[in-house]
Amino acid sequence: MILLQSHSRFLLQTLTNRVQNLEKGAELDCHWVEFDDVRYHLQASMKNLHILLLSVSLPAPPPETIFFGGLPFGAIEAIKAAYGGLVQILDPPRDGFNLTLKLNLSKLPPNEEKKQAFLVKVASVREVVLGAPLRVILKHLASRTVAPDMDQLVALVHRQNESFFLVPQVDKVTVVYPMRFNDSIDIVLATSFLQEFVEARRAAGLNNAPPCLWSPSPPLELKGAPADALSANAGFVTIVIFPRHVEGKKLDRTVWNLSTFHAYVSYHVKCSEGFMHTRMRRRVESLIQALDRARPDLENSKTTVNSRSFKRLSLKDSRSNSTS
Amino acid sequence: MASTLRLYLTCIRNTLEAAMCLQNFPCQEVERHNKPEIEMKTSPELLLNSVLICRNEAEKCLIETSINSLRISLKVKQADELENILTKKFLRFLSMRAEAFQVLRRKPVQGYDISFLITNYHCEEMQKHKLIDFIVQFMEDIDKEISELKMSVNTRGRLVATEFLKQFI
Repeated sequence: MILLQSHSRFLLQTLTNRVQNLEKGAELDCHWVEFDDVRYHLQASMKNLHILLLSVSLPAPPPETIFFGGLPFGAIEAIKAAYGGLVQILDPPRDGFNLTLKLNLSKLPPNEEKKQAFLVKVASVREVVLGAPLRVILKHLASRTVAPDMDQLVALVHRQNESFFLVPQVDKVTVVYPMRFNDSIDIVLATSFLQEFVEARRAAGLNNAPPCLWSPSPPLELKGAPADALSANAGFVTIVIFPRHVEGKKLDRTVWNLSTFHAYVSYHVKCSEGFMHTRMRRRVESLIQALDRARPDLENSKTTVNSRSFKRLSLKDSRSNSTS
Repeated sequence: MASTLRLYLTCIRNTLEAAMCLQNFPCQEVERHNKPEIEMKTSPELLLNSVLICRNEAEKCLIETSINSLRISLKVKQADELENILTKKFLRFLSMRAEAFQVLRRKPVQGYDISFLITNYHCEEMQKHKLIDFIVQFMEDIDKEISELKMSVNTRGRLVATEFLKQFI
């Protein structure tokens, strides 16, 4: 898996399982956590088998982002647009969560394909909620306008207490990611990965991809940003999105990719560390073998241990010895 | 293999062959103790002159000899930040497995990346020329491994970036 999938695999599996075994009527109550501190809770009771409660908690927003009632701006509208009447938003949400949705499984479309498509859509609730403000801005870009009430610099949350920045303009949207990592090895690997983004953009097949820049210091676009957002130990990535990147069906993909850019890089940094460990373990084995070769005749020494220098007496021999 | 590397390794091999003539030598201060003199450095008459072999400023090898033990310390080249981190990670990984290697020292000598400690007991139970072969192969392997690791990081980075950017086309 190179790209991150927008639906939560576990949620999709649980939902499909539930829909298929609805008559069995088992109780359901599970919690789980996904990357970037998104937590889910799914609950279904025995009383009403068709009702499922799905709660989602989002990463804690830093002060510069705009949140209304625990959700990013535009999220409520995005949920309504995505799920229509099949899903109800409960207000207030469950304790400790930002959003609780009530799903009515009896209203699912009867067509198998449509039903599955809807379940996938529910499983990508994270994309719908967290990507909502990004989607609003990119939609305006597609129609080549700027939303009237937008600031010059928009901050959107993507990790706990961290945000990335957008500069919406009529003909382009500039996205700036301050990249932060906890581990010193992660920082170095991520930096070399990010430089590869700049290099890869120059390749022949990617002329139409969005221009990508990396710099160790904050770019000019971040002039108005708060000071603590300007400290990034792995530099800053700037991606410029043009209207051709958000046309029609591409919009969904672009929104998802942009909102999980950090997770994507971080995922691959961890993957390559895992790969390195496998390699190093193999190398250690081959080196130990090389050292073992230095021992003279390992096999021969074993046989000398087995061929004992003393003669073991059998029971019969000992008797004959004692009598003599 | 670059010719300078071969010269460097041959020089180390020859020096090791000359230096690795160790004999059993009980401790002079404490009765019934037998310690590697190169680590204890209790009496100067038991230590020999150390030899420093340099390929360039970043790559060098220090060979310290005493009557019953020999210490080899290596410094591996680190051209950039990525190589530095990979070298550190890999050599730490090796040092943590020092028990399996026997001749590997748990901690490198100050200023070096990795050290070996060879005592007369090692020489008794292993063949001397094979032990030297191992040290030289170890040095070659480290260089190879680090450049391969670096290449794999870069290749993966390029692939990851290309796949991401393809999503927008």
